[in-house]
Amino acid sequence: MAAETPSLLPHEQPLPPRKDLWTAAAFLVLGLAIVSLAWSMPRYKEQKGEIYTAPGLVPGIYGLIITGLSIWLAVRSIRRGAHSEAAATPETAHDGSSNLRLALAAGLALLFCVGLIGRMPFWMAAAVFVTAFIALFEWRPGVPWGLRAKLLATALLQGVVTGIAVMLVFEKIFYVRLP
Amino acid sequence: MLDSLGQFGGALWGFMSPGILFTVLWATFLGIVIGALPGLTATMGVALMTTLTFTMPHTQAILVLVCIYVGAIYGGSRSAILLNIPGTPASACSTLDGYPLARQGLAGRAMGISTAGSWLGTLFGTLCVAAFTPVLSEMALKFQSFEFFWISLFGIVIAGTLAGGDPLKGYMAGFLGLWIATIGQEPHYNYQRFAFGSTDLAGGIGLLPALVGAFGVAEVLQAMRGPAVKAVSSTIDSVIPRISDVVQHWRTILRSGAIGTFIGILPGLGEDTAAWSSYAAARRASKEPEKYGKGSVEGLMSAETGESACVPGAIIPVLTLAVPGSAPAAVLMAAMMIHDINPGPNLMLQTPEFFYQIVAMLVIADMSKLLFGLTLVRPLLWILLVPRERLMPVVFVLCVVGAYAITSRVFDIYVMLFFGLVGFILRELKFPMAPMILGLVLGDLLEKNLTRGLVLSDGSLLPFFTRPVCAVLAAITILSILWSIPAVNQATRGLFRRQPR
Repeated sequence: MAAETPSLLPHEQPLPPRKDLWTAAAFLVLGLAIVSLAWSMPRYKEQKGEIYTAPGLVPGIYGLIITGLSIWLAVRSIRRGAHSEAAATPETAHDGSSNLRLALAAGLALLFCVGLIGRMPFWMAAAVFVTAFIALFEWRPGVPWGLRAKLLATALLQGVVTGIAVMLVFEKIFYVRLP
Repeated sequence: MLDSLGQFGGALWGFMSPGILFTVLWATFLGIVIGALPGLTATMGVALMTTLTFTMPHTQAILVLVCIYVGAIYGGSRSAILLNIPGTPASACSTLDGYPLARQGLAGRAMGISTAGSWLGTLFGTLCVAAFTPVLSEMALKFQSFEFFWISLFGIVIAGTLAGGDPLKGYMAGFLGLWIATIGQEPHYNYQRFAFGSTDLAGGIGLLPALVGAFGVAEVLQAMRGPAVKAVSSTIDSVIPRISDVVQHWRTILRSGAIGTFIGILPGLGEDTAAWSSYAAARRASKEPEKYGKGSVEGLMSAETGESACVPGAIIPVLTLAVPGSAPAAVLMAAMMIHDINPGPNLMLQTPEFFYQIVAMLVIADMSKLLFGLTLVRPLLWILLVPRERLMPVVFVLCVVGAYAITSRVFDIYVMLFFGLVGFILRELKFPMAPMILGLVLGDLLEKNLTRGLVLSDGSLLPFFTRPVCAVLAAITILSILWSIPAVNQATRGLFRRQPR
């Protein structure tokens, strides 16, 4: 039974300890930076400000807690063998996951937000983005040119329809301003 | 009682115009589609629609969001049953018995069970909202800053402890959210914290752009990175729920409804925990536990009832304490604030009609869900077959519009992008998202109540621990932190373990 039914709390398996150690280090830096910046904030003593209304008090406490928690995570990951040889072995990739696809999606998103929006009407920017996104992700080597042209045409059609539909629906029906 | 029923009837009648009913139908349908599509979650749907409906009258906007929320939690079961891929995290439990039923050629029956369980679960939870919210609101009226501080902190700690995965990472995510909420002008001296001279940052991090990023953009990135979803079989038997399936499992339905609603009330836990807890309880009580995981009708019914009862349950603390019970409820609460509705104990005093409207919204959203559950099978199958390469760019465009819509600042698009990346990385590092959202939403409440409490007590921390409700909340908060330390946990279990004779 147990073999066929996953554990009742389906959340992820723990990360390799070395990854947790790096995560702890990043959070430690963040926590210390918050504490340092909070400490340097004014306390308004000249305005008879009390310590508990000082702007840096609450973020400073959060910074201290984040620092403490990251130390806890670091200690735990070391205890779990973050320094061992086994922890240094490269992790096997997720089944079917692709960092190339991730980078492409993130790059296109960035290009859309930084490079296209504001430089042309929003509907056009959306159309270019959607068309490029579909065309690049559906690109397969060795596909006959006829089929490729059909795929590109449908991508272009979906891009233009998306751009115009978004403009009409949000500007005319929801009265939302578009970028 | 009669007065309450009259007010509820009035609220329900108020929604009975063709225009509003049309809104209910499209919003519930959209919610079901969002829930059914793997990669899009209820939180993302509610966050996105919050920004896109903010020009609507507040009742209509909240109605849309409630319908999206109710629809999305139900819609997730469609892909869970047909694809073995949960459309939302809440539906993960439904894959255990839903998919085996579908493989036995009973996909229609499984969807019927899902529809019946989900409908009854939401109805049960809605009855609890109607029954308990006024009582809890009255209790909460006696609370002061000290209690509200602990309620906020309790919410974040409980979400960190129980939201799944690693409690330590849950706490880290929660305090990260709380810290992000401090960025911008602080309330006492208008000092610009962590702004580094940027006027945009001095205005603070917009809650909704951050949420749209952490959910929408992060989900787009995750979906594009992950493997493609396989096509589904299109042979489906009747989806009309069988009366016998409901009558036979009435105990399971009531139990799961109660568990789901209770978990909804606990801050930050949400529908996935509700589904798994209901499923576990049903299996423990079952006469046929060996069928669980192999296509158990009872198992599927318990998961569906539990997750759907959690939706109204999660709205109870929003209305009574201004503390959300789940991630989508956190966004719903933010939407209420944007529409100048003040959730919390004063809501029943200031705008009691809104409370009855919420109950009416849940009822009609539930009815609308039932209608689509019985009729909308083939179109949803087609939607499930839309390739992610064609769906995700459209979702991203909507995220951009959503992030920009509220304040018309391009800066908010960058905030969305940043939080999309942060959300993606944190998920990859196994950080739960619910505590971070709760931190973002509750940050302002927590800080204001902490400093107000300190001003009232002239800097003394004693009232934070000696007032009765504070003492209880402080004890639970501290105990749940201690409980999450493995050594303490094992030692405590050892103390209570029965010694062999």
